[in-house]
Amino acid sequence: MDFARRTLLGQMARLTAGAALVPLSSLANAGINDQPPRREGDSSKRYAMLIDLRQCIGCQACTVSCHIENEAPLGSFRTIVSQYEVENEDTGDIATMMLPRLCNHCEAPPCVPVCPVQATYQREDGIVVVNNEACVGCAYCVQACPYDARFINEKTQTADKCTFCAHRLDVGLLPACVESCVGGARIIGDIRDPDSQISRMMAEHHDDLMVLKPEQGTSPHVFYLGMDERFVTRPLADPAIWDVRDNEGKEIGYEFAGH
Amino acid sequence: MSLLATEILTPRYELAWYPWAVQYFFMIAISYSALMLSLPGLVFRRERFLPLARLALLVAVTCTLVGPVALLADLHQPARFWHFYASPAPWSWMSIGAVLLPPYVVLTILYGYFAWRPALVTRGAEGQGWDAKLARLLCLGNWQTPQLAVIVFGALAALFACGIMLYTGAEIAILASRPLWNTNWLPVMFVLTGLIAASGLVMLLNRLMAGANADVYRQGLKVILVAILGAAVVAATWFIQGMTGYSPSVQAALESVRHNPDWTAIAAWALSAGVVLFLVTVAMLRAPKWQRWAWLLGLLAIHMGWAFRWLVLMEVQTVAKNTAGYYHLAVEAGSYGLLGIIGTFGLWLAVLLIIDILVPWRDVNNARSATY
Ligand code: SF4
Ligand code: SF4
Ligand code: SF4
Repeated sequence: MDFARRTLLGQMARLTAGAALVPLSSLANAGINDQPPRREGDSSKRYAMLIDLRQCIGCQACTVSCHIENEAPLGSFRTIVSQYEVENEDTGDIATMMLPRLCNHCEAPPCVPVCPVQATYQREDGIVVVNNEACVGCAYCVQACPYDARFINEKTQTADKCTFCAHRLDVGLLPACVESCVGGARIIGDIRDPDSQISRMMAEHHDDLMVLKPEQGTSPHVFYLGMDERFVTRPLADPAIWDVRDNEGKEIGYEFAGH
Repeated sequence: MSLLATEILTPRYELAWYPWAVQYFFMIAISYSALMLSLPGLVFRRERFLPLARLALLVAVTCTLVGPVALLADLHQPARFWHFYASPAPWSWMSIGAVLLPPYVVLTILYGYFAWRPALVTRGAEGQGWDAKLARLLCLGNWQTPQLAVIVFGALAALFACGIMLYTGAEIAILASRPLWNTNWLPVMFVLTGLIAASGLVMLLNRLMAGANADVYRQGLKVILVAILGAAVVAATWFIQGMTGYSPSVQAALESVRHNPDWTAIAAWALSAGVVLFLVTVAMLRAPKWQRWAWLLGLLAIHMGWAFRWLVLMEVQTVAKNTAGYYHLAVEAGSYGLLGIIGTFGLWLAVLLIIDILVPWRDVNNARSATY
């Protein structure tokens, strides 16, 4: 049953990856909790990222470079590479699974319509951004994102998340995480341009691409190649490392749970 | 093939909504529920509901004043609250709530004011003491209290109260990211547990401030009985929807907490508290001589209303979104944690005592409001 369900989800993941190639145009202007109109950005483009998991070695170079580039406070991350230790119960074999996570710049982002002050919005090129001058820090968007891609930045006290490094893309640079990836696992580009590297790779690997949590109907635009479909939705994993804090709540170290 | 997976590295995920949110949802639910409890006595003018209405109005006004303070405190940028009105987002439930809340607060205060004014006039006419002087001040001049004002403002406040019920519930229930929230039953449950808590608080204050009126106890118990039965039906339906897979979202919700001993304990506790509340309520309604202890049951009712919101808003945030694990919930001391919880209750108590000093709320009387 569980396996069947997960296989089904895996198929859904593939379907959704395919469906995303058809531009969802007329989402704008409707009732409560519908997507508001997009604004700013180049409407002739649609940025997306393809992550080739076969190339990812879990070095966290992206995590670090993003952290430096975007000045996230200590302990908060716009991107992180989840690392799973997977044990086959029958054979006892152990394998490792790397899963870089970041904002999926969803085509139907649930974080956008919830924002009560229009601080979170989607640009015409698909990038979901936060105007932190307008954000009231209600954290509604943090709750609405199914991927935990958002957090309240403790320095600015406003919502923060991956922006696909829009400030770099807009001046022709690559995002910090893409630039620093040792294996070239992260490919970003315009999927409306059929000649872009990402478009060519998506065409080539079309049937093997997966997105996270397709059942949420968010139509993510971070596509994974070489993904184990059991990790598409909440994997049955337990977190192993917790940070340890002293009485004042200051972080003093890490602890392995159940080891 | 089965797998055992361990997530080796887990970043720290902070709670995005603080206990302030629980306080707001609790206060505002008591506010709209108490407002409803005051309607039979003050708007429909049924004499036998007047003692209940006096207490319910006091509860409604005090909670309406304190609730929005907690809401403001839950914003990480409280000074920017005016952005809600400068750039509204009509597609966001929270934005709709921001539009509904101020008129609701104003209407509730007006409703209370016009209900209390005749009694203020009476007190102002009695002698030269400081309380009489204050009462004259609060009368805002020498004019007759319009007879219809209580009814009109009461009815309008009740209308907006329905809006508050809808938005506070919908705001949470639309969040598909958290299956435990994503159910249409949640708004219904908020209202039912709100009624339970409001009745409990009215019964408690009945003992502490209004001489333990027997009618108030009986009426409060009846409201609790109806609400707890409703809550039981809702909870059972939700559970069955999940178990049978009728609702995939509820199924996912149950699945997300199934193997967690904390959640099993919470479920067991909620079930027994509900059963105790139900049985004692029935017993008290059947044996009126026990009703003088109804205020004690009121404490349990208040606790249920609060704990339900704590469970829904705080505990649910600890269910990890990306793995099958849980985040750590640490309620810290300081203004975002314990202090916030205690502070809200303290503020409410202060407001209650101030109104008790300023306003002769016990003397609200329909007949008299017609003559002044
Ligand atoms: S991943 Fe989360 S934050 Fe990013 S667009 Fe989707 S819902 Fe919004
Ligand atoms: S935290 Fe900021 S960006 Fe997020 S919903 Fe609230 S106001 Fe909008
Ligand atoms: S695109 Fe930029 S913000 Fe997003 S994960 Fe990469 S480095 Fe961080």
